[in-house]
Amino acid sequence: MELQEKITILSGAARYDASCASSGSNREGSAGGTGNTSQGGICHSWADDGRCISLLKILLSNDCRYDCAYCVNRSSSPVPRASFTAREVVDLTMEFYRRNYIEGLFLSSAVNVSPDHTMEAMVRVAEILRNEERFGGYIHLKIIPGSSPELVRRAGLAADRISVNIELPSSESLQRLAPQKKKEAILAPMKLIGAEAGASLVERRKSRKAPRFAPAGQSTQMIIGASPETDLQILRLSQGLYSRMNLKRVYYSAFVPVNSDNRLPVLSAPPLLREHRLYQADWLLRFYGFSAEEILSDDAPNLDESFDPKTAWALRHPEFFPVEVNRASYATLLRVPGIGVTSARRIIAARRFAPVTPEGMKKIGVVMKRAKYFITCSGRPFERVDHQPARLRQRLLLGDGSEAKLPRQLVLPGMG
Amino acid sequence: MNQYLYDGTPEGLVSAIASILDSGENPEEAHLAVRQDMLFEEGLFLRTDSAFAEALFERLRQRAPDAVQTLWYFMMAEADGLETSLLRYIALAFEHGDRVNGYLTHTSVKAIVGTARKAGRELHRMKGLMRFEQLRDGAWLARMEPDCNVMHPLARHFSRRLRAQEWFIFDARRRSAAHWDGHDLSFGTLEQFSRPELSLEERAVQQLWQTFFKTIAIPERKNPRLQQSNMPAKYWKYLTEKQGE
Ligand code: SF4
Repeated sequence: MELQEKITILSGAARYDASCASSGSNREGSAGGTGNTSQGGICHSWADDGRCISLLKILLSNDCRYDCAYCVNRSSSPVPRASFTAREVVDLTMEFYRRNYIEGLFLSSAVNVSPDHTMEAMVRVAEILRNEERFGGYIHLKIIPGSSPELVRRAGLAADRISVNIELPSSESLQRLAPQKKKEAILAPMKLIGAEAGASLVERRKSRKAPRFAPAGQSTQMIIGASPETDLQILRLSQGLYSRMNLKRVYYSAFVPVNSDNRLPVLSAPPLLREHRLYQADWLLRFYGFSAEEILSDDAPNLDESFDPKTAWALRHPEFFPVEVNRASYATLLRVPGIGVTSARRIIAARRFAPVTPEGMKKIGVVMKRAKYFITCSGRPFERVDHQPARLRQRLLLGDGSEAKLPRQLVLPGMG
Repeated sequence: MNQYLYDGTPEGLVSAIASILDSGENPEEAHLAVRQDMLFEEGLFLRTDSAFAEALFERLRQRAPDAVQTLWYFMMAEADGLETSLLRYIALAFEHGDRVNGYLTHTSVKAIVGTARKAGRELHRMKGLMRFEQLRDGAWLARMEPDCNVMHPLARHFSRRLRAQEWFIFDARRRSAAHWDGHDLSFGTLEQFSRPELSLEERAVQQLWQTFFKTIAIPERKNPRLQQSNMPAKYWKYLTEKQGE
C-alpha cells in the first residue's frame, strides 16, 4: 500500500481524538540532535475545521480485534484497514519535524493482534525516535488498556505525555458497550503512571540526571452521551482523577453515532452543547477553585443549557454578590461571571496604582455585559440591578448578557 | 505641552527619551514625534546620542527588567506615532519598576504593552507557521513576510530546535536573512534573492503533508471562518498546505 493511502486511512481514523495539546513539557534537546519542546505549546497550522494542528496525530493501525459499540474501527465495521511499520512512522515524524510542520508525534492505535503486540510496536517508534534519531520534540503515546506494566514504563520513559482513555464514565457502561475492555485494565496503568511520574520527580530533585517519566503528565478522554451517567457523576469522576490520580487534563467527547447498535442511544445530533458545558465546568474545577458539588447537586445533577456553569452558580447564590472589585480577593473575583483568570490577575495588578474604574475594567478585558450585574466599583453599582434571581436570569438571557456563540468542537469516540 | 523631535531611528527614540527624562521635564506634559523636516515644524530637535540610549537601557534593566523586555518587543512591532506613549511608559517604569506592566488602566501603558503583545503574538505564531524546504544542496530555506520584525528571536528559536541541519530564513518584506550553519547564527541583508531549486524528494514530502492536512479535519465540521481567524490569509503565501488550493 502507498504511504499516501496509509496516511489517509490512519490520520482519518485519528482525527476524532480530542487531545492535541503539545504543551507542558520543557525538553532542551541534545547537541547534534533535532528538536526541543516548548512549555506553552505551538500550533503549526489550523485544519479546515478550524482546529489547531500541533502534532502528527495518527494511528499505528486501525485493524482492531475488539468490537466496542461506539467506535468506527470496531472489528465488525466495514472500513478499509491499514497499518504502519515503526520505521514509516519514525521517518514521517522526522521529515515533518525538519520542515517545521509539527511539534511532534501523537501516536495511538487500535488493538492489533493483542494489547502487548500493539503497545510494543508503539513504544518501539518512540524509542527509535529518541535513541537513533536523537529526536527531542514532543511525543504523546496512548496506552492500550491491558498492556503489561513493563511496556507502560518504557512508554513513560520515552514520551512526554502518555494517556489511557477512560472511555466511559462508569464501569457498568464499559461492561455494556466495550465488554473486552475491563475497568481494571484502564485504571491499573493510570495508577502506575501516576506512581512512576511521582517517583521520577522525587529522584530528579536529588539528581538532574535521573530519567524523566512523562514530564507533561497524563491525560484521559471519555465519551459523553453514549451512556446514561449524569453530569454530576461525570464531574465527580473528573474531580477524582485530578485530585487522586494527578491527571493533567480530562477530555470530553460528544458521542457521535457511527454504528447502529441497539445498545446505543438514538441521538438526533451529537450532544455538543453538553460537551461544551462540561469543558466549562472542568475549567471551574481546575482553575477557579470550584468543587463538583458546588457546580451541581443531586437535585439538579445536569448542567444548565442556557447558562455557563459559573453564571448558573452566581444566579443560585445572590447572597455572594455584588462583589466590590477594588477590595475583593483573587478567589472572590474569580467567582464573578465575566471575569476570568487573566482579568482577575490584571485587576489586582492595576488597583495597586489607582482604584479601577468602569472604563478601566473594559481596558483590562472584563466582559462587562455579564459582569455588570454582579459587581460594584468603589461602591458604585453599574446598573440599578434587581437582584431577584428570576429577573436577573431573564435579563441575562434576553439582554446582551448572554455568551457569544462559541465555535464548538466536534469530537468522536477515540481509539485504543 | 512641550514638543520634542527626533530623527526617526529606534536608537534616536531611546536617546531622545533619555534626554527628556534627564532634563527633569514632566513626561505627562511632553510630546515626542519624528522630525518631518517641514518648514514651520515646531519643537526642539534632540540629537541622537548612542551613549545616552545605552545608559538608559542599562538603568532600566536594573530598575525594571520586564519593562526592558516589553520595550524590546515594542521595537519589533515598528509602530508609528507611539513615541509619546513610550516616553510616559518608561517614566512610569522608573517610578514603579516591573509592576508598571500591570498599570493597564493608564492609556500609555495600555498602548505600549498592547503593541508589544502584538509583536509577541506574531513571533509565537511564526514559530509554528514557518515552513522549511529542502534545497538541492541539502540546506534548508524558510521564507516569510511578517508584520513585525521578528527575525532575531525567531532565528534563535530555530537554532535550538533545528540545530542538526543548515538553514536560512529570509524576510522578504525587509530583505533580511538569518543563516545557521550547524554551529553559529549570523544575520545579514540580501538585495538580490532568487529561490534556489528544491531537492528531489521535497515535493513528495510536501504532498504527504498536504494529504495529512486534508484528512485530519473533520469533514462534517468545515469551518473556514474559524480557520482564517486563527491563521489569517496573509500568512498563506508560504504555507505548504495552502498551496494549489
Ligand atoms: S475503541 Fe479502540 S479497542 Fe475499541 S474498537 Fe475502537 S479501536 Fe478497537
